[in-house]
Amino acid sequence: MAEAHSVDNPRLLHHFRNADQQFSSSKLGMWLFLFTEIMFFGGLFVAYIIYRAWNPELFTMAATQLDTMLGAVNTVVLIGSSLTIALAIRAAQTDKQKMIVNYLLLTIFLASVFLVIKYFEYTHKFDMGIFPGAYYTFDGIDHPKANVFFSIYYMMTGLHGLHVIIGIGLMIWLVIRAKIGDYSSQWYTPVEMCGLYWHIVDIIWIFLFPLMYLIE
Amino acid sequence: MSASSTTNGKTLKVRYFDIEENPTEHYLNAETGLKSWLFTVDHKRIGLMYLASIALFFFVGGVLALVLRTELFTPAENLMTAETYNRIFTIHGAVMVFLFIIPSIPAALGNFLLPMMLGAKDVAFPRLNLASFWIYSIGALFTLASLAVNPIDTGWTFYTPYSVQTGSAVILMTLGVFIMGFSSILTGMNFIVTIHKMRAPGMTWGRMPLFLWAMYATSIIQVLATPVLAITLALLIMERTLGIGIFDPALGGDPVLYQHFFWFYSHPAVYIMIVPAFGVISELIATFSRKTIFGYWAIAMSSLAIAFIGSLVWGHHMFVSGQSELSTVVFSFLTFFVGIPTGIKIFNWLATMHKGSIDMKTPMLYACIFLFLFTIGGVTGIMLGAISVNVQLHDTYYVVAHFHYVMMGGTVMAFLGGLHYWWPKMTGKMYNEFWGKISAVIIFIGFNLTFLPQFIMGSQGMPRRYYSYIEQFQTMHQLSTIGSYILGVGFVIIAVYLAHSMFRGQKAPSNPWGARTLDWMTSSPPAHHNFNYQPVLNNGAYDFHKPIADFTLGIAEDDHGHEHKGEPVKQQEQNA
Amino acid sequence: MSAHHIIPMKTLISTTVALVVLTIVTVAVFYLPIPAPFDVVVAILLASFKATLVGMFFMGLYYDEKFNTVVLIFSFLFFLVFVGITLLDTMFRDTGISVW
Repeated sequence: MAEAHSVDNPRLLHHFRNADQQFSSSKLGMWLFLFTEIMFFGGLFVAYIIYRAWNPELFTMAATQLDTMLGAVNTVVLIGSSLTIALAIRAAQTDKQKMIVNYLLLTIFLASVFLVIKYFEYTHKFDMGIFPGAYYTFDGIDHPKANVFFSIYYMMTGLHGLHVIIGIGLMIWLVIRAKIGDYSSQWYTPVEMCGLYWHIVDIIWIFLFPLMYLIE
Repeated sequence: MSASSTTNGKTLKVRYFDIEENPTEHYLNAETGLKSWLFTVDHKRIGLMYLASIALFFFVGGVLALVLRTELFTPAENLMTAETYNRIFTIHGAVMVFLFIIPSIPAALGNFLLPMMLGAKDVAFPRLNLASFWIYSIGALFTLASLAVNPIDTGWTFYTPYSVQTGSAVILMTLGVFIMGFSSILTGMNFIVTIHKMRAPGMTWGRMPLFLWAMYATSIIQVLATPVLAITLALLIMERTLGIGIFDPALGGDPVLYQHFFWFYSHPAVYIMIVPAFGVISELIATFSRKTIFGYWAIAMSSLAIAFIGSLVWGHHMFVSGQSELSTVVFSFLTFFVGIPTGIKIFNWLATMHKGSIDMKTPMLYACIFLFLFTIGGVTGIMLGAISVNVQLHDTYYVVAHFHYVMMGGTVMAFLGGLHYWWPKMTGKMYNEFWGKISAVIIFIGFNLTFLPQFIMGSQGMPRRYYSYIEQFQTMHQLSTIGSYILGVGFVIIAVYLAHSMFRGQKAPSNPWGARTLDWMTSSPPAHHNFNYQPVLNNGAYDFHKPIADFTLGIAEDDHGHEHKGEPVKQQEQNA
Repeated sequence: MSAHHIIPMKTLISTTVALVVLTIVTVAVFYLPIPAPFDVVVAILLASFKATLVGMFFMGLYYDEKFNTVVLIFSFLFFLVFVGITLLDTMFRDTGISVW
């Protein structure tokens, strides 16, 4: 967008010189936030790597309790939702108000599918006595630290699931505002930022899937 | 006057502006009432609210320190039981670290100054800035709640497995710290974006005041390391509630791993505490030596170097924890490297003072105290980085003395220097110079009397965190306790004359110290939106050979031909 | 380069297709008999490639200011530092310094 003299732009906050400066500031801020998200999950990945390096046989045994098929389906579901939210941003950029709402609703739907599948995975494990931490009662894995593997599994997928839920909440808020017609090619910053957040949730799952489900 | 070109070769019409002295309308009275403070998005007011909060917590932590020192006056029970003693030293540490020193310079002085030094109207995300303050307050409430429920006794580091076993309110306390971490992250994000995107026309990276470079490095560490603290504390909370067994050896976990996680944040966190102090000292020494700072880029880049190298050395807190010998050697080796950029700074400051016209006002007095005390703290730190020495001195009073020389002798002295330096800008009033110098001297004497004996005790084997001690240490402990009282008197004097100056102090001119940075190119106190003009930079931040009048350049007309307010001095056009 | 780049429909669709195909490849590779350390390496490489695709085209880094990419790369570097140095401890607990 060329030199926007946006004195008439109601979205331009007083302390910015123009809309471009405002938009690129928001974007850099969002990227820095994603940086913190990566370090936040990074702690759990470090725990994962260290325990896997210590007990490779445990990880091979325990991963057999995870359903590869469901994990793969969920991966594809999240990739699909990444596409739909990218399309929602595109709709905003091309001023297709109605399509913003539709694509966001589709993203929310896919995110919910992800959570439903996750719910079935969790309950299936709970039925077998695979609870997190000290409540672990499953005796199908012959390893003294089997509980630690599932603690890490629940912490990582649980934190990821929490991010999915937060994402759904954000998108519901976006739908409400998009319906009023708040977003257009002139100003769609929240849609763009929510998209960035959603993609990082996708990326984290892209790493979680092979690390959790595909261990031989 | 010739101008250097900036971004896009666009011609800006600029002229000089006069700075109004003692304006009747400024940010302090632009809006009134409690709500205008609690819900303000003005970075200056948010900075002052942080200042009030950290002053409160410094008072709390300081009183606890005096209580501890009083207990240690004799080896017997003076005031409290050993169990209470454990709780009090934990709270002293946690309050001073998480509630006072981490937000001290970045959140209080940084918030107030950063946009002004950049020539911006506010930080990039003013509402997020307010949210940071509220998140900090909520975190502080959790911390205080833990004190009401069952004060924590684990030490401020919350080491497992004890933090999983103890009956004290670990979850409330760590939840408080977890929440405050987000405040720190959001402030860091806000500052990085502001520095990248909100610089005034002509404010190139090479013209930024060194305080901003220090804040930039600090913000990077905040954004990089604090999330790891968050996940560590989340795991600790899970360990206590669910028994996830990652850190708890009873369930198959590894307590040394907890220490890695904790120090991956908390070692860089000591640079969150000290790097902003370096920034303040750079400003003080340049201004009061009336000289262009020596080695601008060396000081700027060494801040970044400290941020990066400081992220690689966390294991030097764990030399006796049972980590592998290989990593101990690597950490010790890397630790020595932090000394290089720190040394670069000290030498550049000394070179700046060399043949300068040094004006020993109170802020400069604190800067000199800083140089003296911080050098002792830093050099003893290098000593502790040597493995063989560390094994001898680990967890003794030597370590206690070392980090108090760095944190208090370094950060707090720089903070006091900065507070006096910017006090006229914040309040529009001058503090009392006579009492300022007296209290600085009292603090210097009290500080050394408190902590020098601790170096001696530590080298003789007095362990830290002990409630009692053998007789041979009594003289040293008593000297230290007396020193802490003197230190306390010094702070009371400061509180009294600063409070007095707010109501009865002389009115401050806009630039009482003759500084050249943009924060002084506005009235004292500043206008609601910082400047009555959009500043344009044509000079470096330390060009003391140019007259102050050269530094008040601003855009003459906005894009629509409307003249800006302010009295014209001389008109000219230039390529900006 | 403008921050408001409209990403072409064709790019979005082909990125999605590539990601789905790579997911299938990831699962397929899991059933191949690859010797011990390399199966993880292949899985991580595939995941990193997928993440790069998401970053470049869905998140628009390819069109964006380069500094945002720098931020992302730095986050991965710091994560590697965290892992790498911690492993220096956890992998060598039983080895004395005499290995040198």
